[in-house]
Amino acid sequence: MTPWLLLLIPLIGAAAIFLTKAELSKWISLGVSLFVFVISILMSVQFEQWGSMGTGLRSETSWINSMGLTLDLGADSVAMMLVLLTTLLTPLCVWGSFNAITSRRKEYYAWLLILETAMLGVFLAQDLILFYVSFELTLVPMFFLIAIYGGKNRAHASVKFFIYTFAGSLFMLAGFVYVAWQNAQTGAGGWSFAIHDLAIYASTKLSATEQGWILLALLAGFAVKIPVFPVHTWLPLAHTEAPTAGSVILAGVLLKLGTFGVYRFVLPMVPEAVVAWAPSIAILGIIGILYAALICWVQDDVKKLVAYSSVSHLGFCVLGLVALNPIGLEGAVLYMINHGLSTGALFFLIGMMYERYHTRDMNMIGGLAKRMPVWSVFMVFFVLASVGLPGLNGFVSEFMCLLGTFVSSTDAQQWPGVLGPQYAAVAAIGMVLAAMYLLIMVGKVVFGTLKEPDTTDRGSLPVDLSLREIGVLAPLAALCIWIGVQPTVLTDAMRGSVEKVLSPYPKRVKEHVEQQHSESIMLKVPESETPDKEDHHA
Amino acid sequence: MISIMQSIIATPAGQIDQLVDIVAPTWAQFILWMPLISLVLCGLCAALKVKTKAPAIITVISLATSFVLTLMLYFGYEGAEVIHIFEWIHVHWNGGSFISDFALYIDKLTLLWMLFVTGLGTLIAVYASEYMEHDVGKGYARFFAGVSVFLFAMSCLVMGDNLLMLYLGWEGVGFASYWLIGYFYQRPAAVAAAKKAFIVNRIGDLGLALAIYLIWSTFGTIQYDGISTALAAHNNDAATFSAFGGWTVHAIPYLLMLAAFGKSAQLPLYVWLPDAMEGPTPVSALIHAATMVTAGVYLIARTYPLFQLDDYALPIVAWVGGLTALFAATIGMAQYDIKRIMAYSTVSQLGYMFLGLGVLSSYGAAYHVFTHAFFKAVLFLTCGAIMHGFAGQLDLRKLSGLRKMRGWKIVSYTMLVGCLCLAGFPFTSGYFSKDAILAEAFVTQGSGFEILGWLAIFTAGLTAYYTFRVWFRVCCGPEYYEPGDELHGDDPSSFHPHPPRVAINFVLIAIASGAIIAALPYFMDNETKGINGGWVAEMVHDSPARGGVPNAVVAVVDGEHATAHEGVANAVVDQDHATHGSILGMDPHKAMYYISGVVGMIGLGFAFFFHLARRKAADSLRNKLLASRFTRWLPIAMENKWYVDEFYIAVIRTPLWILGKLFALIDRGIIDGLLVNGIAGTPRAIAKWFSPLHNGAVQSYAVSMIGGAALVILLMMFMPEIMSFLQSTMIGATP
Repeated sequence: MTPWLLLLIPLIGAAAIFLTKAELSKWISLGVSLFVFVISILMSVQFEQWGSMGTGLRSETSWINSMGLTLDLGADSVAMMLVLLTTLLTPLCVWGSFNAITSRRKEYYAWLLILETAMLGVFLAQDLILFYVSFELTLVPMFFLIAIYGGKNRAHASVKFFIYTFAGSLFMLAGFVYVAWQNAQTGAGGWSFAIHDLAIYASTKLSATEQGWILLALLAGFAVKIPVFPVHTWLPLAHTEAPTAGSVILAGVLLKLGTFGVYRFVLPMVPEAVVAWAPSIAILGIIGILYAALICWVQDDVKKLVAYSSVSHLGFCVLGLVALNPIGLEGAVLYMINHGLSTGALFFLIGMMYERYHTRDMNMIGGLAKRMPVWSVFMVFFVLASVGLPGLNGFVSEFMCLLGTFVSSTDAQQWPGVLGPQYAAVAAIGMVLAAMYLLIMVGKVVFGTLKEPDTTDRGSLPVDLSLREIGVLAPLAALCIWIGVQPTVLTDAMRGSVEKVLSPYPKRVKEHVEQQHSESIMLKVPESETPDKEDHHA
Repeated sequence: MISIMQSIIATPAGQIDQLVDIVAPTWAQFILWMPLISLVLCGLCAALKVKTKAPAIITVISLATSFVLTLMLYFGYEGAEVIHIFEWIHVHWNGGSFISDFALYIDKLTLLWMLFVTGLGTLIAVYASEYMEHDVGKGYARFFAGVSVFLFAMSCLVMGDNLLMLYLGWEGVGFASYWLIGYFYQRPAAVAAAKKAFIVNRIGDLGLALAIYLIWSTFGTIQYDGISTALAAHNNDAATFSAFGGWTVHAIPYLLMLAAFGKSAQLPLYVWLPDAMEGPTPVSALIHAATMVTAGVYLIARTYPLFQLDDYALPIVAWVGGLTALFAATIGMAQYDIKRIMAYSTVSQLGYMFLGLGVLSSYGAAYHVFTHAFFKAVLFLTCGAIMHGFAGQLDLRKLSGLRKMRGWKIVSYTMLVGCLCLAGFPFTSGYFSKDAILAEAFVTQGSGFEILGWLAIFTAGLTAYYTFRVWFRVCCGPEYYEPGDELHGDDPSSFHPHPPRVAINFVLIAIASGAIIAALPYFMDNETKGINGGWVAEMVHDSPARGGVPNAVVAVVDGEHATAHEGVANAVVDQDHATHGSILGMDPHKAMYYISGVVGMIGLGFAFFFHLARRKAADSLRNKLLASRFTRWLPIAMENKWYVDEFYIAVIRTPLWILGKLFALIDRGIIDGLLVNGIAGTPRAIAKWFSPLHNGAVQSYAVSMIGGAALVILLMMFMPEIMSFLQSTMIGATP
């Protein structure tokens, strides 16, 4: 099957929605997104690259030959997992919006489908420009979803979201173009934007200084998306204002575009610079973990709390990404998926609460276990998944990221890295803080004496969850348990891809260590000896 | 002492040899699955809103099955073995892997723990079926689901074959504890206590996680087998141990200690346990007295060889344990809530267990865990029966003379059994197990162990006092009661106590008998040559904690490995005799029977005087202390639990919270407000400078056009220079 199906079917669905009645739009989008999900499942069954390092699902189409632009699509095992995450979350988002969206329904569901196309385009693109176009295209539907269907402050939030992430990705584009330009000048084949070729070119031919600049340019785009401290401030605002489905997609997939970008571009393209910059990136990740966790603690708005918790959680993912060993990197990829499932579900749950009480202020509501036992069971479950209770999914990835960071020292035998136990030890405090802020939230909202605000208006919704709402949450819960018990299925599947990304690193780290070592020796050399050395070189 | 430790490490790990060629009984995994099945069924009951006692019946049957399976495993035991169930976290890469199976490791230490965990679990579930009957159809299923979760997690903790499985159980029991402490979820105190328990435990879990990382990076494995193999490789020469592994092996025991102190409520992390009494009493008895809180002892026993790698690790364990025992006992003396007294006494008794581990008596620690499980369970369950019958009344000033009331005889006398054991009354089980620890404090010579031993003896006196303070107050004296505040709508004036019925009385008798019988293992003959200490010593000897079994060193030397370690063996025997400590010139093992017996009787005597013979004397003593400026602090501090909670709130919680507030302000004001919005605002500000150019006057457009053209020409003229400048600065001098 051609991967174009995944991109085109949602677009066709979006067009179909505009041609039919508004009442049908939700059913059309549900059907279309489910169909895409089924197709992606079929594709993943046939997918031949599970566990190996190659790219499957290839489709090569020329686009603008003179500039070397192509419409190549394809996915390696990691991309395929994120494709599945996207195609799973989209129908759930559509289904979860059935009650919340009452006006301008056609546009809403159409934008959701267009968003799906854009997200899948990011994961499937094998061409830099196609990647960039898809990456930016995700902003447009999201902008409208926030701006039209968001909360009180939606205009400000949507504009900020758009400009902030757009500005960041312009630097990223500049970095990409520089690599392609250099490649076109030196290479024989002229202009090319093929990700695979450019990665090989950049990692082997570019100087350390150039790599450093490219790293910064790419990170300007990806770090904003992840988001890494201190460029995270758009996220709490966007999350708080976005409609439920928007928040779910935002946390579930859009943030992963940043970490996926690091995985797909930063790590393979500029290994030398990554080795040099990894400690700084890791420190930003750790600051994010602790800083955002403490902010979570003092939030009154449940949704803002979960939004900040994303900043904190993604810090672990960043650590895993720059640990430069398989266990850390596999942990990071697993973290992308797990965070999408558990935080996505938390946003669904908050949305379900909001639809009934029209407030998210923890001082106004409390003790909902009495009123909504089923909702409460799901809430506690996903909070525990998020806290990292062993047996559920969050634990596995958090554990692997931290273990990877811990053993990523320069003197490690097989996979030397540039982090070490001290990084992991400080980051692990985030485990305690996560338990603290999330359980305090649960203690206020779910437990305690029942408090319902004056704004309570359930509309047509039942007091506790409806079957539709349970249906939205149950698949996510099942996946949380499955990944928690059988993570090996996923880590085995991503193994080849991860090792391919990491293949240049052991050598680079050793070189880096030797270089630092010799630099420190050079510094210690008395001045009288330096002329001798120069003579020797001459 | 250090040399003794090293020689103990030098004993070969015998169980590795025994592992070979034994067909693993795969049915043993059902010890784990039964509680899980029960959880699912209880969950179904909750979802279907079942209005009967079905959840209790399901739970009791499945836990009883687990117990029977454990018994079968015990009687069929032929040697340590691993039972593989499924692959949990397997990360492979080119040339390496991180492996953590879902697998069971069965040796006798495991069996010792599993026997009382499943046995008491079953009995307490029976008790709870009656105790929780108010909630049938409401929280009944939720309660038993929680108990099932707990048993599942505890079984994982004890039976797991690697540290990550232990971690799974470790956090799992923490979660079950959260679930059950917060059972009365509408009561703010219960919710706060549940939260506190989980968060404080998380600090310990942090230590465990870091310890696992360190162990994996040091030993390359987290399986118990693999660790002992790696250690055994260094066993041949005791001297290499100090050099082995660098700083990591010295850090491991301290991190494990943090974990153990969190879960087992030792200083400085004990604060969650007294609050945990907000949970239903069967939970307090099962989780917060008999089983879960001993997980820390289990952890240290399981990783005992790792603790012997650092010279100061075990002495610190001993000191923390000894000081916690004393500290908690002083608080327990001054409380009025009988359940809280029992809670502090649990903290105190756990302190004894750690003292035992620290002074190289893992045997004494394990034996005390075993006896404590019975007598503390029965004490909690009697408190529960009283609470249940007197509408939540737990104040020992408002209850008196229970043993004379109709229907309360069984409660009173089973409580007496528990109190006797706890007080270390001669020839009770608690007496023997406590002595095993106390004597060893004098036998093993180490950093101030003798002082610790005397402190522990003093604490034993305090224990006898506060224990019998409860019994003399509540069960003896004139008949008197005031009902508590949980009247369920009844009129306080027409209140009548509800004595327990069949299920509760049966369980009380069963567990009290267990507490009495638990003294017998002490007198059992040892099969293994050269060790003594009875059945529990036998159980501990077949585990990594064998270094703390009396005379185990000699025993192993007598065994088949004697030739390989002849040099070490002689040294051990000599040193053992040379450094065998004494108390007041006597052999501690024998002298302790008299010393602790006498001290216990003195404490009991004080309790008799103040709380039965002349109850007014206790109050007047308190008033006298309060009247004097110099002694006033003592009762106030003790009654207010030495203000430890307040101290933590002031020193840790509040500063962190203020930091959080500060960060939230910085995030909004500086990072978002000043930096982000500032940068975003720059274009607009710059645009303002140029906006006068667009004033609509043709002349000014002409001027700006000429100016622009001039600028472009200048740029073009100096382009090569600009480019070279840019290249030299931006890209550097690299080719």
